[in-house]
Amino acid sequence: MSVMRRRAAAVAGVLASALVLSGCAASTSEPTESAASCETPTEVTWLNTIKIEIQEQFRAAVDEYNAVNTDCVQITILDYPQGEPFFSVATPLYEAGNAPVVMTVLQELPDMAPRVMDWTGTELAGLAAAGTLDKANIDGKQVGIPVTAEAFGLLYNKAVLDEAGVDPTAIKTRDDLEAAFKAVEATGRKAVHFSGLWWSLGAHFTNVYHATAAAEQDGRLAILDELTAGSKSLIDDAQFTNWLDTFDLLKKYSIDSASIADTDYDQGVENLATGETGFWFMGNWAEPNLLQTTPEGSFGVMPVPLSNDAASYGNDGISVGVPFYIIIDEEQSTQEERDGAIAFISWLLTTPEGQARWSGPIEEDGMNFIPVYSGFGVEPSTYMSQDIAKYIADGKALSWINSYYPTGLQDVYGAAAQKYYDGKSDRATFAKELEAAWKK
Amino acid sequence: MSQNKTSTKSIRELKKFSLFALIPLAIFSIVLVVPFLRGIFFTFTDWDGFDYTSFVGFENYVEALGDQEFWDALWITLAYVVASLVLVNVVAFTLALLVTIPMRGVNALRTFFFVPNLIGGVILGLVWQFIFGQALPTISENTGLPFFQENWLLDTWTAFWAMVIVTVWQMSGYMMIIYVTGLMSIEKDVLEAALIDGSSGWKTLVMIKMPLMAQAFTISLFLTIRNAFMAYDVNFALTGGGPYRTTELISLHVFNEAFGFGFFDTGQSKAVLMFLIIAVVAITQVIISKRTEVQR
Repeated sequence: MSVMRRRAAAVAGVLASALVLSGCAASTSEPTESAASCETPTEVTWLNTIKIEIQEQFRAAVDEYNAVNTDCVQITILDYPQGEPFFSVATPLYEAGNAPVVMTVLQELPDMAPRVMDWTGTELAGLAAAGTLDKANIDGKQVGIPVTAEAFGLLYNKAVLDEAGVDPTAIKTRDDLEAAFKAVEATGRKAVHFSGLWWSLGAHFTNVYHATAAAEQDGRLAILDELTAGSKSLIDDAQFTNWLDTFDLLKKYSIDSASIADTDYDQGVENLATGETGFWFMGNWAEPNLLQTTPEGSFGVMPVPLSNDAASYGNDGISVGVPFYIIIDEEQSTQEERDGAIAFISWLLTTPEGQARWSGPIEEDGMNFIPVYSGFGVEPSTYMSQDIAKYIADGKALSWINSYYPTGLQDVYGAAAQKYYDGKSDRATFAKELEAAWKK
Repeated sequence: MSQNKTSTKSIRELKKFSLFALIPLAIFSIVLVVPFLRGIFFTFTDWDGFDYTSFVGFENYVEALGDQEFWDALWITLAYVVASLVLVNVVAFTLALLVTIPMRGVNALRTFFFVPNLIGGVILGLVWQFIFGQALPTISENTGLPFFQENWLLDTWTAFWAMVIVTVWQMSGYMMIIYVTGLMSIEKDVLEAALIDGSSGWKTLVMIKMPLMAQAFTISLFLTIRNAFMAYDVNFALTGGGPYRTTELISLHVFNEAFGFGFFDTGQSKAVLMFLIIAVVAITQVIISKRTEVQR
């Protein structure tokens, strides 16, 4: 059902972008007009469309660039089925000598580091916001540049919270959160939708613990090192117990009794957008989906408080980070291809037309990315984007520490968390399973 | 003179052989033998899916054998092999007996039973996901039917049986055709002789028909064992290894190890181990089955 719905939405998206293009430039029949006028345009392949939520918008941006660029560059998107592991697509292409020129990755950065271009000293790396490059700097080599910043936490439906008299900024502790849940339930709605999706639990919800496990990044990374070494006991960590308490709280007030049957992303969109629930643990990538369902709604994001001590580190922050880095192959691509790729990315990030594509609103065929480069004339103007900007400005952005998880660990984390979520394991077992995930 | 004759003959033979066999042999080597040997070679290196930098001896195998998840996957695969081996063949043989009874519409029935085999694994997975997740629970809610109130795919062992059911549903028709061929190939005079000797229907089946069609059993058992060991699409599409990665059969486990976690060297070693296990089991089965075959 959900697959069908998404398909239908995709088709509608294609139609919409086709209409927009034919309306303004009448170029749908020959989207590659100027590139085609070259003798031999340099073909630059781009693996996938960054993410599924904005794939039609990304395609539209590529079409526009192919039509307007004068550098004789032709960007071609290599599609692969969403949800396939990155390696299952990338390694055969490398093996065949057909490596894509541009790719977007996160946890695979260390694996890809030896075969991609060093961005050090490039104009785009210079424009990237402070801190956003760190994760992709591996032994002094700038392996990738950031796509955007994303944030996750408890999404809320402002209308529902207003009706219940809940001010999200006043929620400082776990007890406050429970009181807010009760207030929402008092209006006859359900409090929260807590999805059992493995990636939501495994990558994002576990991030809430790891990002608040120590007040300094060094301390947090030290915990990851201890886990790798097998010397960390999670169950003895007070913050971990806090995290489990909040986990239980979300389960308790969830709209459906928590079961891994509840793995339908669209159901979460539906519930929050229509006000069935007041909260949903998810990220800002869901905002376009929410606004599609309820265009006049306002949806914000707030912290997931773990501790009952309001002053405890992280209780007032949301997790913010770079979900993908752009990397350019150096092993199999030509200099022209790399130049073409950089020209396209520069167009996206530095020209008004490109920026409108990158950060413009979804309904105007933009990708709604929060820009992490200086010199942006376009800012996403949605309610949630402004919420996030406020957290960043106030220095209340928690580390997106899951990008330091080794490739695949989040799957094991997700499986263990689903088991706990489903009531199939107790706290001690859950802690042991999370620890075991690092022993690979 | 005679030597000359044989050499021209052998040249002619060689030409004939090249004409018919060289192209298939080349294709076979390129898509099977070479990748297979390369795959074995990689297991002795620190291959990361792209390159290798050093040889590590048997380290990958040691690591693969020391991985608890590998053993878990192996055990559930074995259980799956046994369950589907028994059920597929019992159902297929029963169906074969049914559709060889001379009556009207037998051909339609044969087609009917064979059709599930024509549906690709992934589509089949989605269809059955709907059946187990939505259709059966809804039916059971409205009728009070036991067993199916819960979505079978959400619990390890019911998910396991769900896979077996789908496999039986998918494979039985195919094996049925093999058994039908076996049953039809039995000479009528032997059956007539048995009838005249006063053999009962059951006795004829067990003592005459089954031994005479033992070849069909050899083939069917071999195919079911191999298919069950290598099952991937039903596993991937139906349960995806869930809940919580407890129904990961060995193929899916190998895939995840390599492509999901990026451990290409140990993943490949597990694939080689899997090959050895399947080879040993399948060869043993064929040898045993061959012994029971009657030479005519």
